[in-house]
Amino acid sequence: MTRHLRRYVAAASVLLGALPAAAIAQQATTISGRVTSDAAAPLPGVSVSIPTLGAGAYTDDKGHYSFTVPSTRAAGQAVQLTARRIGYTAKTVTVTLSGAAITQDFSLGTSATQLTGVVVSALGATERPKSQLGAAVTQLSTEELNGSTHEQNIMQQVEGKVAGVRITSPGTQGGNVNIVIRGQNSLTGSNQPLFVVDGIPVSNASRGGSVGSGRDYGSTISDINPEDIESMTVLKGPNAAALYGSRASNGVIVLTTKKGKSSTGRIRTDFTSSLTFENPSRLWDFQNQYGQGSGGSFAFVNGAGAGDCDGCDQSFGPKLDGRLIHQFTDGTDTTVKSPWIAHPNNVRDFFNTGRTFSTTAAASGGTDRLNGRVSIGADDINGMIPNNRFTKFSTMLSGQFQVNDRLNTSATAQYVRNTGLNRPGVGYSNSILEQFFWFGRQVDLNALRNYQQTSLANSPNGNREFNWNYNFHSNPFWLQAENPVTDGRDRIIGSVSATYKLADGVNATLRSGSDIYRYNINTQSAYAGPGASLTYNGAMSITSDYFNENNTDLIINGNRSLGHGITVNATVGGNTRRNQSSTEAQSTSSLLVAGLYNISNSAIAPTVSQSISRRATNSVFGSAAFTLNDWWTVEGTARNDWSSTLPEGANSYFYPSVNTSVVLTDAIPSLKNSVLSFAKVRGSVAQVGNDASPYQLATTFSGVSAKFNGQPQYSLGDQLANAALKPEITRSIEYGTELGMWDSRVTLDATVYQNQTKNQILSATVSAASGFTSKSVNAGRIDNKGYEALLTLIPVRKNRLEWTTAVNFAHNHSTVAELAPGISQIQLGGGLFSDARTVAALGQPYGQIQVRGYMRDSATGAIMTSKGLPLGTTNYLPMGNLQAKWTGGWNNTLTYRGVTVGALVDVRHGGNIVSYTNSVGESSGQLASSLKGREIDWNNPGIVVHGTDRESCGAGSGVTATGMYRCVGGGTANSKNVNSEAYFQALFQNMEPYVYDASYVKLREVRVGFDLPSRWASRFNANAVNVALIGRNLGLWTKVPNIDPEFAYSNGNAQGIEYGVVPNARSVGFNLRVTP
Amino acid sequence: MTARKLLSVAAGVAVTLSGVACDNSGLTNINKNPNSPTVAPPGPVFTRAANLAVSEFLGSGYDQYYTSVVAQHLAEVQYPDVDAYRRLDPASTGTAFNAAYSAELEDLTQVVKAGRAQNNPFYWGPASIVRAWEFGYLTDSWGDIPYSQANQGDSSTAVLSPAYDAQKDIYTDLFKTLDTASKALAAANPGLTNLGTADIIYKGSAIKWQRFANSLRARYAMRVVNADRNLADAQLKAAFAAPGGVFTANADAAALVWPGDNTYNNPWGGDLARDDRRVSNRLIDPLIAMNDPRLAVYAQPTQADPTKYAGLQNGMLQSQLGAYVATTSRVGKALFTASTSYGNFGNAGIARPSYLMTFAELSFIQAEAAERGLGGLNAAQAKGFYEAGIRSSMAQWGITDQTAITAYLASTPVAYAGGTPGLVQIANQKWIALFGDGGQAWAEWRRTCQPTTVKPGPEAIQNTVPRRLLYPSTEYAVNASSLNAAVARQGADAFTTRVWWDVNSSSAPTYTAGCGTR
Repeated sequence: MTRHLRRYVAAASVLLGALPAAAIAQQATTISGRVTSDAAAPLPGVSVSIPTLGAGAYTDDKGHYSFTVPSTRAAGQAVQLTARRIGYTAKTVTVTLSGAAITQDFSLGTSATQLTGVVVSALGATERPKSQLGAAVTQLSTEELNGSTHEQNIMQQVEGKVAGVRITSPGTQGGNVNIVIRGQNSLTGSNQPLFVVDGIPVSNASRGGSVGSGRDYGSTISDINPEDIESMTVLKGPNAAALYGSRASNGVIVLTTKKGKSSTGRIRTDFTSSLTFENPSRLWDFQNQYGQGSGGSFAFVNGAGAGDCDGCDQSFGPKLDGRLIHQFTDGTDTTVKSPWIAHPNNVRDFFNTGRTFSTTAAASGGTDRLNGRVSIGADDINGMIPNNRFTKFSTMLSGQFQVNDRLNTSATAQYVRNTGLNRPGVGYSNSILEQFFWFGRQVDLNALRNYQQTSLANSPNGNREFNWNYNFHSNPFWLQAENPVTDGRDRIIGSVSATYKLADGVNATLRSGSDIYRYNINTQSAYAGPGASLTYNGAMSITSDYFNENNTDLIINGNRSLGHGITVNATVGGNTRRNQSSTEAQSTSSLLVAGLYNISNSAIAPTVSQSISRRATNSVFGSAAFTLNDWWTVEGTARNDWSSTLPEGANSYFYPSVNTSVVLTDAIPSLKNSVLSFAKVRGSVAQVGNDASPYQLATTFSGVSAKFNGQPQYSLGDQLANAALKPEITRSIEYGTELGMWDSRVTLDATVYQNQTKNQILSATVSAASGFTSKSVNAGRIDNKGYEALLTLIPVRKNRLEWTTAVNFAHNHSTVAELAPGISQIQLGGGLFSDARTVAALGQPYGQIQVRGYMRDSATGAIMTSKGLPLGTTNYLPMGNLQAKWTGGWNNTLTYRGVTVGALVDVRHGGNIVSYTNSVGESSGQLASSLKGREIDWNNPGIVVHGTDRESCGAGSGVTATGMYRCVGGGTANSKNVNSEAYFQALFQNMEPYVYDASYVKLREVRVGFDLPSRWASRFNANAVNVALIGRNLGLWTKVPNIDPEFAYSNGNAQGIEYGVVPNARSVGFNLRVTP
Repeated sequence: MTARKLLSVAAGVAVTLSGVACDNSGLTNINKNPNSPTVAPPGPVFTRAANLAVSEFLGSGYDQYYTSVVAQHLAEVQYPDVDAYRRLDPASTGTAFNAAYSAELEDLTQVVKAGRAQNNPFYWGPASIVRAWEFGYLTDSWGDIPYSQANQGDSSTAVLSPAYDAQKDIYTDLFKTLDTASKALAAANPGLTNLGTADIIYKGSAIKWQRFANSLRARYAMRVVNADRNLADAQLKAAFAAPGGVFTANADAAALVWPGDNTYNNPWGGDLARDDRRVSNRLIDPLIAMNDPRLAVYAQPTQADPTKYAGLQNGMLQSQLGAYVATTSRVGKALFTASTSYGNFGNAGIARPSYLMTFAELSFIQAEAAERGLGGLNAAQAKGFYEAGIRSSMAQWGITDQTAITAYLASTPVAYAGGTPGLVQIANQKWIALFGDGGQAWAEWRRTCQPTTVKPGPEAIQNTVPRRLLYPSTEYAVNASSLNAAVARQGADAFTTRVWWDVNSSSAPTYTAGCGTR
């Protein structure tokens, strides 16, 4: 690898050294002026430049700019001077460079959407006018990203704002954000987009939990401080992203950081701070009529089974009528009794009001040749659950140095320290809410707060928990305090870049960047109780992840006029990518001395593990865009990758793309009228290849670190390798239009697309009897097609009142078109008790939900019963799909004088979800819905299942191949009355009643902002000071009972199955922003 | 800069880049797996396979969750789903099926391959014997299963959808495999390297592996007696006569001794720690009635009354069970390997051996063979074998009070009666001795219909005790045509379908009318 790098460096130095030094100007033409908005406010940070000469400057905080053009290059010619800033419509004027000073002012109008702005392209090395792009690109400015509310993860701030980008919030604070653009392309691989910061790919690795267990450690993109981001460009598919390489098949999120600007030596500061308070947005509807117990009875003796159901954890016990019963709070003397009453808020009271304090301060400035920016950000979050805290400290330093007229250099460095304490668990085993699905409705939560009481039953010694139940559960406060999980990530993202002007309009950029982090996770489990074995004095684990990716690019970009109104923008370049990641873990299930969490304190041989993953890709790429008279552009791109993960000799793959765009209103000026101001059509065809993950070419033995009586062990892996893997290929075609009407008060950006990913590298399930559970194969194809649109309206704009409303809408239809031979489906995610799963089923949309349901009479469809209880199938039945029919967002901004009111509504229509919260919550008797059929007298139970009694079917009856029941003779209707407890417990493993329509409408964001008077702002040495009230997740409308149907328990493809998800935080608070 | 210059720069860049890109062996070398090798020595692979195999079939899932409950050694006190046969479904039981093939059977196949390549029976012999042991559990539970084409995914034939073999053919091959292994071990050059300490069952002792192979052959021979009495007779004779003979003492028994280091503990206790199970009244009632010394080993007094043992009725409703948690007996401390958060109910068993096959089981096979005149034995020998079976079972469970044992052997329901009543006694004592090996207990119950008290519980969703397990859903998904051929041959994939050897059950001398029917 170093050999390659050296070659690169050598090649670059030859290139740079061979070129003549820059000519020194004798006399110069100075161009200066002021840029203001329509409203005559000064606009800082506007780029004013003469593109053909590569000369220009940014405006300062008063809107002034100034730069000089050497006289050798300013010999009386007329040139185009352009002023542009994201969020505003660019303007271009022609000036003649005569040697005399030129003053040129600009007044820029805001653009509701960036139909005509510029976007970064060619891997961040250059900018292109958006009007010339042949594929859908959405750009969000810093105002759109950060101007509304504050989230720690920048992707959460994009929710509902970009059509076709489906962002799923984590259920937990600090958790994973799942992002899917235009549907899932990969059956079993990643469907997450590539993140690129200033041209350097950065990690968005995640450590997520699963429905079964685990903690959600979030995704690493949350390290990026949103306040450091100038703009975000969403490249939605292969068409826009082909040059970004194989990881671009799921789209690319391009982030451009804020930079220092020429400020004539003054320091520009900006500052933002917010304080918000969080509460669970939704908790379940509990029943409060019956307490712990079974069959209506309960007696506490030791909480572990010595009394009648005192080791049980369901609430089918005695009615909560105030009768006196010996309870866990009453000590060991069983003659002591307390009133048996409900504690309706015993779950809600577990949650605290969370508090998030977030601040970023930045300073920037510079001269026309040298500028820089430094920022410091800090987040401090006290979570909603006790003893849960996150902190993030980030700094960023970036600088640019124009060495001479030809050589421009820049560098950025970010350091992030991200820590978590007790990140919420998700899924069955670790979810903090699991404690409350199996709970006594009579339990007084406050009695549990002092979890170490020593004088009561089962707590004879110190530091042992006191609880309502000692059989299955721990005291939740004990868990949070005594079994802490801490994690910390130290991360450095850095890049250096040098751009050399080879000739007018031709630049060579050499850039190298790395993303490096180490992530440590420590878990501790305290000695929990009297039952623990003699050697068990607690447990611990330490896990350490290391990640390092370096990308080095050489890119030559040229922009030339070919005459006859044709200009060409061409790029040629190469990239080497080197990635190494590793995980080391040590754990012990038994400590020697209690309270000392050091692996050397292990009472038994610790379990250790190590895994290393290395990969590399070399690439060459090129593109050429020809533009005729600024209205017709045809572009072709091509890239070839050589990957380390594919078989030698077959590891090269080529992927081309072609796109075109026509600005109709420029091509046919007569189209322009008082209504239509801008019209563009575009089309694109692209192909992207993708390689395998490492080490899939040879089957290997796995070592087992724990020796068996000192004996080493090896076991052959369960996945059969494939030495003949091929790259997978995504093909995409899209058409779009961008329209501006009524002076851009109405804009529409719409796209239709079709994607096809084939030869997918996937792990295909094979018969385990082969000795392997799966095999790496090239098989399968997913087709995605859909449309998306963003319609922006400014219905009101007068008397300083402006109302902007934007609606985005996306529909995607996926089809699993092919799978491996002989395979009809691939499992994506599994339920808790082998009773629900999500699959990619042949011919179906990606993510079919299958559950075990009611066994029905194959002739009549009636539910079959046995002894009055419904029977379930042992096989899975298709029950919906996790894909939404459509998703959309509705964003409103109302400004009047210095007041801005914004509101964002996020909609999902269609798709399904399976909820274990509802299933388990009913079978455990916790939920209000489990009151069905409960009577005061347990001898007079109340549920008669409407169905057919299986025992009444005639000879020859039996289960059919589809899992239904052939009832010979038709049988007789069930008439047996069963009690509520038996009924709901009989539904265990029958998830049919718990599949829901996952549609929802959410009031995602509300913001009310006030611009302080400018004289106040000037006291801060700033242009504007804004104070805002902000709120997130304020309202939810859904048909799904008890839970929020929008959630992600992992960053993977296993979505659509819910268990005990911690509800989204509803947050309200304040934000202060000082803009220089 | 002129266009020509530009072109030459571009060409230079292109050449440099292609040079980087085309250095392909350097690139693909990065893909050499730094975590795990493509070849591993047979010893460590055998160690892994042996303890995985034992965990699988004498451990939590197959054994304690399913077969020990179906055989009614255990009953479920918290979630009576398997007890009601609700959860005895392919998605649950299929785990053992799939794991067996993809984990330990594959590893054992690798050891057999390596041993064959080195022409060393001390490697392939033990591996093929453990393989034959495990295939017995698989075919007894499911009937026809992949066998002759199993574990060939990475062979040159790359069989990914193996055919299902008829159980009769599997048994034929198991006899042959055990015969071959036993003879090869006897004939091998003792100077060859053996597995040594990597052999965590017999430490490389060839003679003990021969005795295990021959005893296992006797197990399988007796298993098929209802289907093919002549085959059983011939195989019993061959097993008893094979080089090395059969077990002669508890010390010969095939046992895997667990380190008990909290990483590798006897798996039986792991799930007892959930407090989900109690000893079934089908097991406790006769132990109490016969004043059996093993009662205090198999079970603990109830929590509510420490002077009392009480078994739990199988197949009740969850809503009926709350009161039984404290009033029925947990599994004995000797087996309770883990202590729990609700109390310390034993920790003695973490290093207790798991018995792949006991001397007691062999003795009962010999007793039955003798009583029925099979395998060259005669009825006069039956009593001796029967008593040896009980005594070795007592010893195996740590009961040393010889006076009590002698008194037990002489007591009314235990003293050997001979004839068909003797066969009933043998079957019941064998079923009791097999506690902790649910797979064998269930298979023996199916074959002998003893004890006759084993019937579906009152709330079970079917009226008969299952005769087999259902094929895993993954096999329907990825190996359907092979599976369908098996179903066509064997009968519907249902609990009521009987495996090949489970026929003519009424021809068993111990058969009782209405066997296993509620």
